[in-house]
Amino acid sequence: MSAHADTHAPAAGHHEPSKFHFYIQVAMVLSVVTGIEVVLVYLPLAKWFVVTALVTLSAGKFLAVIFYFMHLRWDKVFCTILFFIGLVLAGGTMWALLHLFAADASKPLTSIVGLIAF
Amino acid sequence: MSSHAAAGPIDHHHDHTTATGIPNKKLLWWAFLASDCMFFGTLISTHLVYRLNPPPGNAVPTQVFNIELTSFSTFILLMSSLLMALAVNAIQRGNVKSTRVMLLGTMFFGCIFLGGQVYEFAHFVHAKKMTLSNSIFGSTFYTLTGTHGTHVAIGVLLLGMMYVRTFKPTSGNGLLRNFAHLTAVCVVMGVSFISFVPGMIEVIYGLPLGEFLSHHAVPLSVGVAAFIAVLWFGRTSGTVEFGEQNAGDVEAIGLYWHFVDIVWIIIFTAVYLLEYL
Repeated sequence: MSAHADTHAPAAGHHEPSKFHFYIQVAMVLSVVTGIEVVLVYLPLAKWFVVTALVTLSAGKFLAVIFYFMHLRWDKVFCTILFFIGLVLAGGTMWALLHLFAADASKPLTSIVGLIAF
Repeated sequence: MSSHAAAGPIDHHHDHTTATGIPNKKLLWWAFLASDCMFFGTLISTHLVYRLNPPPGNAVPTQVFNIELTSFSTFILLMSSLLMALAVNAIQRGNVKSTRVMLLGTMFFGCIFLGGQVYEFAHFVHAKKMTLSNSIFGSTFYTLTGTHGTHVAIGVLLLGMMYVRTFKPTSGNGLLRNFAHLTAVCVVMGVSFISFVPGMIEVIYGLPLGEFLSHHAVPLSVGVAAFIAVLWFGRTSGTVEFGEQNAGDVEAIGLYWHFVDIVWIIIFTAVYLLEYL
């Protein structure tokens, strides 16, 4: 199974179709989305709208990379399930931590008086 | 992956010799990446917890960050992901030469990203006076982005090993030559992200080129010598073992590389962009 260094794809026709142009298109879309994200934070828009837009755009970029660049779209569904187990656990941990520390009792004491009282 | 040794078309997405139908290496990488999600999940949430409840005396992120440089780094990492996908695409079609070019491009872009991070950290410590220990923000920021940077550096090393492996000759093991080749690649990449890229960013921000060259003369000379060695080792000669049957190996490294990209997608939004609202 050796291959010459200069050998290009043989014309036997058994290779799967090249995704070269498809990958270029995906990367261009991701670049444009990144540009939109950066511009969004400078626009005088409602904070809730910008946060929602940023989270949605980031999630879209995330999914595009894992499904297209990482081939989940073409691989067995078990790979998707395996990765999403980790992702859901990570997301759940983040959600739990952010809610735990958002509670009043978890907020840091900001003055010497408060520290002494504690 | 034994089935790939058989003659005939290679199915790059399924392996009929395993119970799951997935190549074992790929399954291992997906399991590792799933666990790494949890690792980064805790680091990101720790950073966010302290950002949402900042203790007194904390650093002000918008006075510290350089969003233009970080946006550029994000774009570079995205483009490195594109090159990595093209490297996998090339080897799945048996094109070793193109795979090498794409792997080198991915490594180079990875080094630009790392160089940007080296510059950023040095700038934050020396100009902005934000260290690992003088504020909670510094602690969580450096731990999170530093861990991500370490992942990128490991990715560059793995890509370098894969690149050198593409030169392994069919006859003889060529171990010593490959070791020397890998050493040269590592030196070039190391000099790139520790010295060359941060220096060039400083030049863009106003440092005279002559001053940069005089300050970094020794590492740059070593880097140029190593680069010449990489070119010399990279001369194509004879047949090599590497080919379409190794597509699974390149794809496995690719999974790791794309993972560091998706982690940065989250970090860029959660740590940098949201601070500007």
